[in-house]
Amino acid sequence: MAPLLILAWGALAVIALTILGALGALIGQLPLDRLLEALGQEETLFALLMSLRTSALALGLALFLGIPAAWLLARRRFPGKVLVETLLDLPMVTPPLVAGMGLLFLLGREGPVVGVLGMDPFGLLFSPAGVVLAQTYIAVSVLTRSARAAFQAVNPDYAGQAATLGLSPGWAFLLVEVPMAGRGLVSAAILAWARALGEFGATLMVAGATRMRTETLPMAVFLNIASGETEIAIACALLLLSLAFCLLLGIRALTGGSERGAGHAPA
Amino acid sequence: MPRLDLEGVTTPFLGPLDLSVADGEAVALLGPSGSGKTTLLKAVAGLIPHGGRIRFDGRPMERTPPHHRDIGYLSQDVLAFPHLSVAASLRLVLFFDQASAGRRAERVRRTLELCAITHRADRRPDQLSGGERQRAALARALARRPSLLLLDEPFSSLDPETRRQLWAEVGGLRRTLGMTALVVTHDPEEARVLADRVIYLRDGKLVQADKGGASTGARSPAR
Repeated sequence: MAPLLILAWGALAVIALTILGALGALIGQLPLDRLLEALGQEETLFALLMSLRTSALALGLALFLGIPAAWLLARRRFPGKVLVETLLDLPMVTPPLVAGMGLLFLLGREGPVVGVLGMDPFGLLFSPAGVVLAQTYIAVSVLTRSARAAFQAVNPDYAGQAATLGLSPGWAFLLVEVPMAGRGLVSAAILAWARALGEFGATLMVAGATRMRTETLPMAVFLNIASGETEIAIACALLLLSLAFCLLLGIRALTGGSERGAGHAPA
Repeated sequence: MPRLDLEGVTTPFLGPLDLSVADGEAVALLGPSGSGKTTLLKAVAGLIPHGGRIRFDGRPMERTPPHHRDIGYLSQDVLAFPHLSVAASLRLVLFFDQASAGRRAERVRRTLELCAITHRADRRPDQLSGGERQRAALARALARRPSLLLLDEPFSSLDPETRRQLWAEVGGLRRTLGMTALVVTHDPEEARVLADRVIYLRDGKLVQADKGGASTGARSPAR
């Protein structure tokens, strides 16, 4: 077992040190006073607020669409289910830039939506609404997948039990199944929110990269690195990292940390 | 008119079965494990599809969804809501009752008392013993005062002493509340204690039995 353990510890150390190195390099780029100054810049604050607002809206939409869809996938069999599940997973594995391109062509002037409706009904493209759309597109996929696993972990007989107690399917879903899957659903929501906060590629295609208009934190990093203003870029990157770290910590706290699920050696 | 009337009921493992249960009567279906007893009870509860006709108070149940069937269902798998205390489970069940909040609270208090679980009202299922969990499940099933009680070997996982105690209590409660009951079990003693009449389930058919569970070979319906 010793060589395997050495290999495993070595691999873990390489992975952890690489991440720590990248983080350290980022943090070490700016002295504290200049970092604080960059964090106080109007553009940084705008990007932070834009990211928080749009990602919160995207999370709301993703919850509204993703929770019922996840329940359906967890509870019902239907023809073509495997295809539907694969389709729903697609935004998670395709580059967001490609997803954004698809949305752009779908909602663009020559796209089928405008063709059918005769006008752009949403004003989504190249606006903050477009940011929400792109973030929702990615977040809903993450949320549906994780929430489906959360519902699958709840014994479906509980719904039948609730029915014998006088609860309609809708109330049984809201008052029994959702609370019972609650911890998994909150984890799913946090994960989806983290993905929405960090969304870049699809947002770039759908909402564009316009300073002080569609400028989320990832967009601010991109715009400022491209224009050589690294201080704001670093400040925004650190904000993103801090938010992501807090969200991941939240998931850890909810799921009981790394100890849960750790196996014991057989006796 | 019988309170519960099964006519040509079929499930994947059973039937066709005919059975009538009178108002306030408790009938036990006695049969070995895997004979389809639970399936039949689930069909009566509306939890699985079935063939034939099930009538309650003369009304066909086929188009009545489970949550409108006025039943209480108690099984060996308690399926207690892990996020709710004993009292909160009862409040949830009574949440849709038309009665005032005060009357609902009184019903919760009275049901907890009847099922002798008041002292654990604020505990969640994982803080209860096996017997207490069954009492809590019984309280939850009785909270709405259903007209029909369906019992699916509810106490088979408990120790013999607790089991006998709960048999006596449930039998008494059922009579006190005047409920009609259908009990399925593989235990002749449980059938005898809980029910007024015992029917044996053999090869997917119902056979009349005496109170002790011995088959007499009579076909159902028995009344």
